[in-house]
Amino acid sequence: MQPRLGNGTARRPADFTACSGCGLCLLVCPVWRRTHDLGLTPLGRAKALQYGARATDIAASTESCTLCAACEPVCPEEIALVAMTLDLRSRLPQAAAAQVRFAHEASNAATAPMPPPPAAAVLLPDRALRERPATLARVSALLGGASRIALGADDGADIALALEAGVAIPAARLERFLQALRRATTIVAADGLLLRHLRIWLPRARSVGLGEALSRLPAVRGRLRASDLYVIEPRAYHADYQRLVKHYDGLRAAAACAFNLDLQRIAVPATARSLAQRLGLEAADDGVQLRWILHGRKIARVVVENLEDGAAFEQAGALPVVHLADLADDGTSA
Amino acid sequence: MDIPLVEPGTVGPCPVAPDALQGIKRQQTNPGRWNGPNWPEFAAALRSQGVELQETNAARAIFATDAGGTAHGLPHGVVTARSAAQVAQLLRTAQAFRVPVTVCGGGLTTEGESVAFGGVLLDMSGMSHVIAIDAAALTVRTEAGIFWHSLAEELRRQDLDYLSAPLNLTSSVGGTLGVGGIDVNSARLGCSADQALALQVVTPTGDIVECSDTHNAELFQRVILGYGQFGVITEATLRVRRYTPLRMHYFYYASLRTAIEDLQVLDRNDASDYSGILTIMDCAVNVLVAFDSDEREAAFMADWRPRLRGHGELSFGLRTLIHYILRPWKLGEAWYLLQRKRELFPELQRSEYMHDGTMFDRSVVFSRAVWKFWGSRQMVIPDLATSAEKFVEAVERGNAVCRKYFAHYTLYLVGIRLRPEHRAHYEMSCIPPDAEGWAYGCEFEPMFDDRVYSRDYLQSFKNEIYDIGVDMGASYYRFGGMMKGYIRRVFGDAVVDRQLALKRAADPAMILNRHVIF
Repeated sequence: MQPRLGNGTARRPADFTACSGCGLCLLVCPVWRRTHDLGLTPLGRAKALQYGARATDIAASTESCTLCAACEPVCPEEIALVAMTLDLRSRLPQAAAAQVRFAHEASNAATAPMPPPPAAAVLLPDRALRERPATLARVSALLGGASRIALGADDGADIALALEAGVAIPAARLERFLQALRRATTIVAADGLLLRHLRIWLPRARSVGLGEALSRLPAVRGRLRASDLYVIEPRAYHADYQRLVKHYDGLRAAAACAFNLDLQRIAVPATARSLAQRLGLEAADDGVQLRWILHGRKIARVVVENLEDGAAFEQAGALPVVHLADLADDGTSA
Repeated sequence: MDIPLVEPGTVGPCPVAPDALQGIKRQQTNPGRWNGPNWPEFAAALRSQGVELQETNAARAIFATDAGGTAHGLPHGVVTARSAAQVAQLLRTAQAFRVPVTVCGGGLTTEGESVAFGGVLLDMSGMSHVIAIDAAALTVRTEAGIFWHSLAEELRRQDLDYLSAPLNLTSSVGGTLGVGGIDVNSARLGCSADQALALQVVTPTGDIVECSDTHNAELFQRVILGYGQFGVITEATLRVRRYTPLRMHYFYYASLRTAIEDLQVLDRNDASDYSGILTIMDCAVNVLVAFDSDEREAAFMADWRPRLRGHGELSFGLRTLIHYILRPWKLGEAWYLLQRKRELFPELQRSEYMHDGTMFDRSVVFSRAVWKFWGSRQMVIPDLATSAEKFVEAVERGNAVCRKYFAHYTLYLVGIRLRPEHRAHYEMSCIPPDAEGWAYGCEFEPMFDDRVYSRDYLQSFKNEIYDIGVDMGASYYRFGGMMKGYIRRVFGDAVVDRQLALKRAADPAMILNRHVIF
């Protein structure tokens, strides 16, 4: 049992043993929404572990997790549920498959040129953003241009993938990645899972998600319309929920647009993908999530923080989709 | 040790640790495990019909206990409900092979009522879809395994809301209709079970039956507040309403009696849309009232606020300060109150759930707080439900028991408006038979404060609370599972035997939730 009110004791980080079975994690779990199978939820994993299950016994559950982290802010016992899942993944023999991929990417990164001298701020795009150079350039410009924010030459994509798969990151590789970031006072990261770990690895830096960084800009937030659906990238949001829930609440009050937030103010993921789907071993199926986000809403446009989410909405095809960075240049905006 | 023989279907004294009890004969009944005759044949028969049955340890472990965390048992297998037809297949097969089936919705029971001690655990959360919302008629048809909060999420997309549900996000609709369900608007709208208009029920023998007040009314009466004895609720039609945020006010009392008297005055006069009492021990007694409209709030402020004897936060704080200055030996208690106020109050007013002074989602606010500040791997929440006239005495006596057993605790009190036309539903339920107009319920919720208590200690505490109920002719919300030893004592043999006869007729092999009541 965790410390309670009135005893003057600070809360400790909790593990699966603290799970009381309240089920609040189910309400926000995209895997639960799709399957209604308790065994594939954080509660299912925690309860199985409490009664002696091994990582291999619940491998299907562990690999089905999308790491959206929606379960963490709602857990009353404050169990580190993402860490629990990543730890379980690291104990699975299947992780070896991802390791090969990681090693390949690591070797590529190792041959890449050393990063430029660190600036006060560094932008770490994810793979999708790198594949859209025009959008990347606009993001960079909106955040102050090259004089204010450096584009990280090593964006840590292989490290993000290793984190996703629960694969141990070689110390030398991690050190090489962090070396270029150590003098940065601000890091803007597009990958929410990487961002979560950057806060641990580099506690002195101010690490923020790309969505938060852009949505704080008057040039961007001023272009939001009341008829927009604003899609928050869930990993970054849930990793810093207590602070960001206030940020987005303010944005909602100012812009009066809809958000992909449920009644608990948890972000409903648009692209909720299992490990196999993230690794490209299975086809993504975002239909259930997209339908639920759009269900019963009267909106004219989807605004996304994350390009992968944008691609999913574009594929659904019902509404125009625009990335936050493109808002500022949107000539059709009011 | 002399272990008495007990006839199946009856309840005998439990021989376990009788010395742990304080003054009464022990009646705890953690049922014996069903030993599984015919299980392989049953499992094969079920699978041959295409019903998925999970028998792995990991699948069964999820259901090894309930929210109470004091009753532990493992099913032989788990079936996730997917349709009424599949549930019917399961129950027909279970009847044929005499295999017990225990139904679990949100699993929020505290006395082991949703724990399977062998046999099949039927997980109803697999049936969690909203089937149809009729915004014009203000009704919703939903699968009954759905959590109230999931239903609220759907309804809110159409600017609708449910009428009344437990302040717990993961209570299931079916489970709630089976036992009652109270909300802070129950003094106006009745218990949650009274909101059901019609049900689809799978009987213990596997028939799929639609029932309501006018169609198969007898089954409807038995299933509503029937503690899962007479069928599995697979679908429900519920009344809903237009959504409104609410404006909440808190008034603070130092006396339980005064607060309860004021609460009952408010309820009798329909002075507020929501009302209830939440306490920090008996030191800070908080009467909460809330309103769906500015007009109702203004009328309350003009007509009823001046008559209340409670104080605002500042005034009560000053009075409490003086109280403890004059009683320095109670400094520890004062410190606890201060700490609790500092940690709990902000949680009830989080800015993301409040806009312009109105609370957008009462169940979100209260349920998050409940789990954060009261939840743990073990919980006991004995309760007393009485007529309005007996309530003050019942609460004061129960409060004395809490003081005796625990350093810190909370009381949650609420009124329940009764519907005379539902009198038949109320037999052998949480609604006391002598209540007219309103029944009142009080939950006694000890705080464990990181201490570990033995199950016997907790059972003794519950027994002392329930003995008050026996003495006063009250009832209980949680009388099943480990507390079922009180059923005959509080309801009497005639009522229990009549219900048992009905149960035997409806469920010949006594397979459905068989250890919960009988």
